Amino acid sequence: MKNFGRILVAALALTISTSATLAADWTPPGPIKLLIAFRAGGGADTQARLVAEALEAKMGWKFIPEQVTGKGGLNMAVALKGAANDGTVIGMTVTETFGYNMAAAPKAGMKPSDFTGLTTTAGFQMGIVAPTSKGWTSFDDMIAAGTGGQQIRFGVMSPKLADLAYLLGKAQGVTLNIVSVKGGKAVMDGVNAGDLDVGFMAGIQAKGVAAGDLVNLASALSEPLIQTPDAPTLADLGVAFNADGQFVFMGPAGMPQEARSALTQAIAGAVTDDATKAGGFIKKAFGGAVVIKGTELDAMLQSNYDAAGALLKAASE
Amino acid sequence: MATLDYVWLGVLAVFQGPELFSILGLPIPVTLLMILCGFLLGIVVGATPGLAGPVAMAISLPILISVFGYTPDALLPVMGCLIGIMKGATIGGAVPAILFNTPGTPDAFMTTLDGYPMAQQGNAKKALRVAHFASVSGDTFSDIVLVICAPFLALLVEGYLDLPEKTALLILSLSFIAAAVGGSPAKGLISTGLGLLVAFIGTGADFYPRLSMGTEALSQGIALGPAILGVLIIGAVFHELAGQWRHKEVVSCAQPQNEIGSDRLSLGDIRKLLPYIGRSAIVGTVVGALPGIGSTLAATIGYTMGRRRHHKIGKPGDPAFGEGAMEGIAATEAANSSVSGANLIPVLSLGIPGNTAAVFLILAADSIGGFNPGPSVFKFTTDTVNPELVIAFGLFTAMFVANFLNWTIGGIFMRSMGIMARVPRQLLLPVVLILTLTAIYVQETRLEVIWFTLAFGLLGYGMRLLSISPLPFVIAFILGGKLESTARQAFDATGSDPFFLFNNPIAAVFMLLSIAIIFLASHRKPEQK
Repeated sequence: MKNFGRILVAALALTISTSATLAADWTPPGPIKLLIAFRAGGGADTQARLVAEALEAKMGWKFIPEQVTGKGGLNMAVALKGAANDGTVIGMTVTETFGYNMAAAPKAGMKPSDFTGLTTTAGFQMGIVAPTSKGWTSFDDMIAAGTGGQQIRFGVMSPKLADLAYLLGKAQGVTLNIVSVKGGKAVMDGVNAGDLDVGFMAGIQAKGVAAGDLVNLASALSEPLIQTPDAPTLADLGVAFNADGQFVFMGPAGMPQEARSALTQAIAGAVTDDATKAGGFIKKAFGGAVVIKGTELDAMLQSNYDAAGALLKAASE
Repeated sequence: MATLDYVWLGVLAVFQGPELFSILGLPIPVTLLMILCGFLLGIVVGATPGLAGPVAMAISLPILISVFGYTPDALLPVMGCLIGIMKGATIGGAVPAILFNTPGTPDAFMTTLDGYPMAQQGNAKKALRVAHFASVSGDTFSDIVLVICAPFLALLVEGYLDLPEKTALLILSLSFIAAAVGGSPAKGLISTGLGLLVAFIGTGADFYPRLSMGTEALSQGIALGPAILGVLIIGAVFHELAGQWRHKEVVSCAQPQNEIGSDRLSLGDIRKLLPYIGRSAIVGTVVGALPGIGSTLAATIGYTMGRRRHHKIGKPGDPAFGEGAMEGIAATEAANSSVSGANLIPVLSLGIPGNTAAVFLILAADSIGGFNPGPSVFKFTTDTVNPELVIAFGLFTAMFVANFLNWTIGGIFMRSMGIMARVPRQLLLPVVLILTLTAIYVQETRLEVIWFTLAFGLLGYGMRLLSISPLPFVIAFILGGKLESTARQAFDATGSDPFFLFNNPIAAVFMLLSIAIIFLASHRKPEQK
């Protein structure tokens, strides 16, 4: 009965939305392989699997999740690029893969137009975070410590963030020892263990900041952080670039329009609905869904890719 | 959250975890059931010559992962089952050694020395009881030491070691394993070097997959599962098959004698055995805590010490060591069983596996995610719950549950396993081969994975032909990524100081020790000959 109710609701929702007429007709010709660019068990992987689970329940499609990790999502992108474009293979990574990472690896020979954008699901609350035990209450305190001769270990989890940290140090006139680690959790572990003094964290810091163990010194986004609105943004600190980014579902280039719309609508529907496990998780872990889809997504990915060159150039000077 | 709260949460995670079904309204938690299944399976494979704990762990792991999935909820049932297998196999190994003079595993060889004479004298059941009692006592002692030591060691490492020291510690453990495993440090180093080489394929900080020769298959790096199972299990199967094909000998099993006299262990017997068990348990625990030194050495030391003591204080008329002395069985079994718990000390506190069983536990944690064995596990956070610490205490609980099963039903089940020694090897090996490949394919449904596994199987076979131990290879392969990232981080954190490994005293001492161990080990060899 419960299933029947769900099917009824799904059917109703689909028939009501007029733009979905084509999409509603589409069913995948087989099980959908979901390539996940993150390690099994982490927050991003959980999100991807929950979305697949929600779609299996709601749409009756079958998903086969598969981990294709490494190289900032480029390994996943390589696998996705050569895959069937009939909607039976899609991938999940972050927008940074199609922007900075593709631009920084021209030999890989990939660009955003080699893919079909489906939808973003959630953004990051990327902050520059230090432990309270350091005694820094503001970004200026950290810079004062740095100019006073203290060595500052700055944890980053991607090459793009390493470039941002470098430019930040340059703009502020301090040399930061930039330490690359794998994933935001590793930055937080390093900061908590005292191996790192400060680092980028993409939302994972929320609990620690609320408890008073960690402090958001600055926002790495173009906008202030929700949790610490008074912290300066990178632009305020003299860096012309930012770490804005989202989790994104993509397909190979040339995906038929009805497949694209159906997949996009289904995923966006699952993540924006707090009642589904996926929606609930996204709200809890990433502060709520961020859905950018269709041509808007295409344009955003292309402009990220084009802008990456400027960041690479600035960081190599 | 106080420390005791964490211990309690760990216990609850096992006993109140997801329930599988309920009997008469009493919920049966899935973790408990998996420990029981693992334990019984462990005894069966331990009692089967030609199989051992690692084989069963290797085959079960991919199947368990595909059943329980990649959620943190899967960690305790999967790892609990592996721990059960590990413990079951330890006591099961004594069965064929005592009944049929066939040591199933190398560490059971010493058990045959007194076990088989006892069986021939008509005391097979008593010998099995002695083996069980000694084994369980040693194992329990070792687990208690693990629970006490691992958190302290982890806190010590986290509190005093910075990134350069941690890098040096990893190098020291690899060098220790290369020197200690397999007898020849040069071969150990070759094995370690190969392991590191494979770990470096397709990984690294750059966007370009290194060492992949432009192929897509290699650009994602080598997955842990196929490489480890290939080298350890498939390699061993190939080697055994080749050996059998060459010799074509018919293995005949000795027949056990009829039972004479009481097979019970009297209080007097236990009082006589306890000093031997105690000493061997301490020896086994110390040996087990050092990565890379296996239970075989512990058994040898325990047996030799026991023989010396028996020689000194033994009464005339008592059977001597080698002629069916139950003290001999006790000394051996207590020593080799107490290795297993202590072996997890470096795993849980430092993330460094020291033996094959530990390798599979790390592989399970790595495949499932959400639990990264190492010093960061033992962070006793007070305001928020550290889920990894709960898992760690859940694992400790699982070990004690397995010990409880061992004390209660282990002996009975073990004594009924004599039949397993009659399973012909020529049937066993192909079954293991097919099961391993199937299990790997079940976890990762790509045909390339099978080719990878077979290729690593050939590598493992080649290494065995040249008497190179595959264990340093596997451990280096697991630690390779960690070594590289820690070294890179240490280099970055010290402001790109090229001498970061030698600039501070602790790191410098670790580095000197790493070199000294290899040097000493290679100079000790000729004296032994």
